[in-house]
Amino acid sequence: MSETVPAPAPGPTGVIHDIGYRHYDGPRLGRGSALAALIVHSLRGVFGLGRTARAKIMPFLLAGVMMLPAVVSIAVMAMIKRPGLSYPSYAVTMQAVLAVFLAAQSPYLVAPDLRFRVLPLYLSRPVKTGDYVAAKLAAMAIALFLLVAVPLTTLYVGELLIDLPGPPHTHDYFAALATSVVYAVLLASVGVALASFTPRRGLGVASVIAIYLLSSAISAVLVGVLFSVSRDSAAAWAWLINPFFLVDAVQVWLFGTSPNNDGGYPPGAGGPVAAVAVLAVVALCVTALVLRYRKAASS
Amino acid sequence: MNSVVAGITYRAVLGRRRVLLLILLPLVLIGLALILRAVGSTDEKATVTLMQVYAIGTMLPLLGLIAGTGTIAPEIDDGTIIHLLSKPISRPMIAITKFAVAASLLALFAAVPTFAASYLLIRNEAGIASGFALGALIGGIAYAAVFLLLGVITRHAVTIGIIYAVVWESLVGGLVPGARNFSIQQWAQTFAGQISTSDFFKPTVSIGFAIPAVLIVTIGAVLWAGQRLRSLSLTGDE
Repeated sequence: MSETVPAPAPGPTGVIHDIGYRHYDGPRLGRGSALAALIVHSLRGVFGLGRTARAKIMPFLLAGVMMLPAVVSIAVMAMIKRPGLSYPSYAVTMQAVLAVFLAAQSPYLVAPDLRFRVLPLYLSRPVKTGDYVAAKLAAMAIALFLLVAVPLTTLYVGELLIDLPGPPHTHDYFAALATSVVYAVLLASVGVALASFTPRRGLGVASVIAIYLLSSAISAVLVGVLFSVSRDSAAAWAWLINPFFLVDAVQVWLFGTSPNNDGGYPPGAGGPVAAVAVLAVVALCVTALVLRYRKAASS
Repeated sequence: MNSVVAGITYRAVLGRRRVLLLILLPLVLIGLALILRAVGSTDEKATVTLMQVYAIGTMLPLLGLIAGTGTIAPEIDDGTIIHLLSKPISRPMIAITKFAVAASLLALFAAVPTFAASYLLIRNEAGIASGFALGALIGGIAYAAVFLLLGVITRHAVTIGIIYAVVWESLVGGLVPGARNFSIQQWAQTFAGQISTSDFFKPTVSIGFAIPAVLIVTIGAVLWAGQRLRSLSLTGDE
């Protein structure tokens, strides 16, 4: 005699155990706060804060080198009572250090996220692609601005304390401070845009420094050769190929400071053209970045 | 020399975005030479300026950096070097092969365009074209060895390399004459000066110093890189 198999009991048999997960009931801060948090995190990362000790060596070494001329200038002012390094020439004098800083640190901002494909994690939050790009650019720009503005301010405070004969160079100081914003925005957009095209940090460093060295060497060769065949007006334009002299030309046009190259910039149209060129380069780089991240986010 | 390792390395360097930079730099050199021809300054002085400032002073270290570190650093970076190191090939042989690949790339992308650019401007007047091509070739070999070694020693090879090329060779070398003795660019110029008879070009380092310096640096760096590979540790970075 066969026994009938009892029908399975109706209703679920599994049990969901309560293992203590809780809902978050607090306030949700939204897109603006996420953006701010990303900027602060990236800015700290640029200087190696919150990373390993080895990551701190390079940015702080370069920041220290940026401070050197200011400290030496203050010492010179205190001892021989003469004005030291002029404010508008600071960034141009230290251009190699700024370029190395940009090249060494901008790949850090973008390369790891691309390489480890964590972009979807950012974008699953209220942060949009544009916000991510804006945060990375803002972090690099703030870092570069600090790199120039801190030595300038130290120098200015030093000048006020030493109290040289004659009025302090307040106009020059504020002109240089305003120009360093232009430097920061231009360099940051070029550096971050170039670095974002490769997930490899080494290649990112190499391409950023290659573009700087290319532009400065092309400008130096053309200026030298054009001067020697006495085409001085063409030589004045050739200076503008170097991004640092390009921004310096804008500074000369806007604030009437003295040019920091040999021979000056093209008179008349030079300043406005340089300003338009700066804006065009920034716009181009930001567009490239946004397009790059749209593609990276969808893949 | 191991031809399989060499083939893989060529493909790794030439098959990625890296090759764009390797092509861009010599193209700009040829472009500058054409511009100089167009403005009519095809004299010895302009050529020497172009060679000193751009070909030897900018292009050579950058290409050395990209080719020298590019042959080994990416593999160490993403850990795939372990597949190569676990094969029964002696580690110094791997280093020598990678060095040979980097040096041959530099001969192709640095020395040949250097010759072509100055030949475009002044033919082979005063031996400038062949002189600077020789300088670029020897300088390229030394750069390949040094940057290969840097790529094996540290994860930050490219950053340290640009600090050497930009800050030490250009900034410090421009201000302190003694620093020029320890600059590969200056050695390259010394070799260029051996063939060139131009009056506009005077190298600062003597040939008696440059020959042993290049030999010691190149051989020493390749041997050291081989020794380092024998005990390479693949630790994570950050």
